[in-house]
Amino acid sequence: MSSLQIQVRIKHQEELDPDFANSIAALPGGENLSRCIQCGTCSSTCPVSLYMDYTPRRIIAMTRAGFKQEVLASNTIWLCASCYECTVDCPREIKVTDIMYALKRRAMEEKVYPKRFPTPVLAKEFFKSVLKTGRSNEGLTVTWMILKTAPLNMLKQMGLGLKLLLRGRMALGVEKMEGDPTQIRRLMEQVEVEEKKTH
Amino acid sequence: MFMENKASDGEQPRVGVYVCYCGMNIASKVDVEALRQFAEKLPNVVVSRTYKFMCSDPGQELIAQDIKEQKLNRIVVASCSPLLHDATFRKACAKAGLNPFYFTMANIREQVSWVTANSAAATKKAKALVAAAVARVAMHEALEKKRVPVHADVMVVGAGISGIHAALLLANAGKKVYLVEREPSIGGHMGQLDKTFPTLDCSACILTPKMSEVKNHPNITLWTLSDVQEVSGFSGNFKVKVKRNPRFVKLELCVACGQCVEACVFKEGRVPDEYNIGLSKHKPIYMPFPQATPASVLIDPNACLKLSRGKCASKCVEACDRAAIDFEQKVEYSEVEVGAIILATGYQLFDATKMPEYGYGKYPNVYTMIELERLVNAAGPTQGEIVMRDGRKPKRVGIIHCVGSRDKRHHPYCSGVCCMVSLKMAHLMRERIDAEVFNFYIDMRTTLKGYEEFYDRVLHDGVNFVRGRVAEVTDWAMTPGEEGKLVIRVEDTLIGVVRRIPVDMVVLATAMEAHDDADDVRRKFNISCSKEGWFLERHPKLAPVSTFSDGIFLAGVCQGPKDIPESVAQAGAAAAEALSLVDKGFVEIEPNSAWIDADTCSGCKTCIPLCPYHAISRDEQKKVAVVNEALCKGCGTCVGACPSGSAQQKLFTDQQLHQEIEGVLNYV
Repeated sequence: MSSLQIQVRIKHQEELDPDFANSIAALPGGENLSRCIQCGTCSSTCPVSLYMDYTPRRIIAMTRAGFKQEVLASNTIWLCASCYECTVDCPREIKVTDIMYALKRRAMEEKVYPKRFPTPVLAKEFFKSVLKTGRSNEGLTVTWMILKTAPLNMLKQMGLGLKLLLRGRMALGVEKMEGDPTQIRRLMEQVEVEEKKTH
Repeated sequence: MFMENKASDGEQPRVGVYVCYCGMNIASKVDVEALRQFAEKLPNVVVSRTYKFMCSDPGQELIAQDIKEQKLNRIVVASCSPLLHDATFRKACAKAGLNPFYFTMANIREQVSWVTANSAAATKKAKALVAAAVARVAMHEALEKKRVPVHADVMVVGAGISGIHAALLLANAGKKVYLVEREPSIGGHMGQLDKTFPTLDCSACILTPKMSEVKNHPNITLWTLSDVQEVSGFSGNFKVKVKRNPRFVKLELCVACGQCVEACVFKEGRVPDEYNIGLSKHKPIYMPFPQATPASVLIDPNACLKLSRGKCASKCVEACDRAAIDFEQKVEYSEVEVGAIILATGYQLFDATKMPEYGYGKYPNVYTMIELERLVNAAGPTQGEIVMRDGRKPKRVGIIHCVGSRDKRHHPYCSGVCCMVSLKMAHLMRERIDAEVFNFYIDMRTTLKGYEEFYDRVLHDGVNFVRGRVAEVTDWAMTPGEEGKLVIRVEDTLIGVVRRIPVDMVVLATAMEAHDDADDVRRKFNISCSKEGWFLERHPKLAPVSTFSDGIFLAGVCQGPKDIPESVAQAGAAAAEALSLVDKGFVEIEPNSAWIDADTCSGCKTCIPLCPYHAISRDEQKKVAVVNEALCKGCGTCVGACPSGSAQQKLFTDQQLHQEIEGVLNYV
């Protein structure tokens, strides 16, 4: 018989981050965070909540109460498939999916995200590709994602990759936008400047 | 056989039996067709029918038609409780020209189909009851309802917002109203509140105009510091004795200038101020609060040196240039006659020291909600500045809902208003002092118009909500951040973790409860109350402001927890009920009164002290008991008690009861 795991579970107010809720609510899509009535529609409508360590409802509650550590370390925010069911169904018009994105970005900023998990890697590779070429180069993005998360999966996915290639659903080459691709980079840089101004 | 007895009036009884399906209410358990066939074969029964809904117009028409065509002279309806439809079918009989008291009901719904699981057993029981009714109805007599004139004045007891509203409506309708209030001023709890939810109207601003309207209304006689001592009589003709305590200040002379209060030999307040829940003290001579109505000072006889010890420089008397102070005032009693009484006696708040885990009375910074109402009020003890007992201003406030409510050890019911009060207070604490606020709730109950929207607004104000019933408030610190604070321990049931939240101020949303003396009051007025002490309405849906005593109506929280709009609405309903009684000019009395057979009465007086309505007296010349029919309520106590069987009751004569019993037994 394995021994019982006993640890202190009580939460002291000092362990919480008093600014966490406000910082998330201040981001686009977070404006109705405080209006949540904890009905649980988001959790029950979510197609992937069955795998989550905290349901979306609980993530909202914890975000609001300042449970930063737990929220940012949860798998919930990374399992979110951005299907927007929760956002559509929410009776308080809370943009739950947008809040999940806000939390993901925050987790990456604070470097507490699962680095070998496909979602953040995919997001980064996608962003890189767009920034560089002005286009979403799926073949390249997916290849990098697999290599960076589980390289051995490359072999498993070969069959699927070939089929996609043959049917013209994926290209191996690198496409570039017409004109000057640095436009995108300049655009994004400007966005960052503007963002800094508002914060 | 009993069946062959001649009818009471010598005529041969011709009985019609009508069995009601009551949709599926009866028919799903009782075999109504078998019951009809059974009834058809009973002696004296001429016609027996079933119908889906006997109480409907076509159902009643069926009876009327048979009375005319089949020359029926007795009617039995087997359906629901007589409480529900006795009057309906009596009217139907009367319409067809039959005396309505030649009718009786067999209750095969409440007493059979709803309470019997087995269908065969239910049918058997229904047959027995119908057989009894058929046997009994043969003995019925033609009776007439008596009309008694009513007194047009109305008494309203309690002058909180409910009493005030009811009194004003009646007075505006031209009725003379006696408004009795035991406190020195009218206004009740509403006068103590700062703002009202969800609109955040200032409570005093909407209440005080009504208070002064009461004071100035020519049709309202206002008696403050007064208590109802005794009520006798009956609907339409009550006699009420009111005890009026002395104010020691002549109301008609005092202009509330306050010179006397200034002059009082006490330089500081001595007596905990009730209006401010003891957060301030007043002198022995004082004004209850600035907008008190009547606008007059009064003297607390226990604190005043002159009244308690007999010696004092009486500076107040010197200071009053209108000679309004009168130490000689005594208790007075007034007796009045009224047609209707409205009880609007309100509530008291749960004593928070009964829940020591919340530390009220132990930690100075634990407050009750009503205390905080006074604190935030500009006319309160701190002129609206929110400072705690230790002089600090709270930076973080914890509001605990359901203190004493939803708790079998205290009050099992939901007080209904505390969620909204707590939300309002959370809003005020954000708005006035920008405090961080935590609300601890079990369920959020914001059901009425505009309430959920208010909750949404408070959510957006940045108030923290923790769903969970607080286990403990303690000053024992576990972490440096908890030092010098009150720590609230609670399970955050939505997050699934126990939390410790240090706060500066704890506010307890205490339950509304019935007054300690509610039971004495209800006895005085001869009405019932629920086990929680709330006065009982006649019917929770269809007679919500009536009581089981005709002519006595309920308004406001004395009937159960409610907020201001609901109280006002109910007060309006009670006023309308009272008006419809006193304006009619007469009351009809059920002819079920008792009478004494003077030939057999031995004059033993057994019945006289037993009668709860004081309706029996002794005729000293004939040496027999006599029943005053106007007072008799037909309870039957004297009938049961009479050793010689001389006390009899109409509609319940020995003959009728014997026939009924035989009817049941013959069948069984």
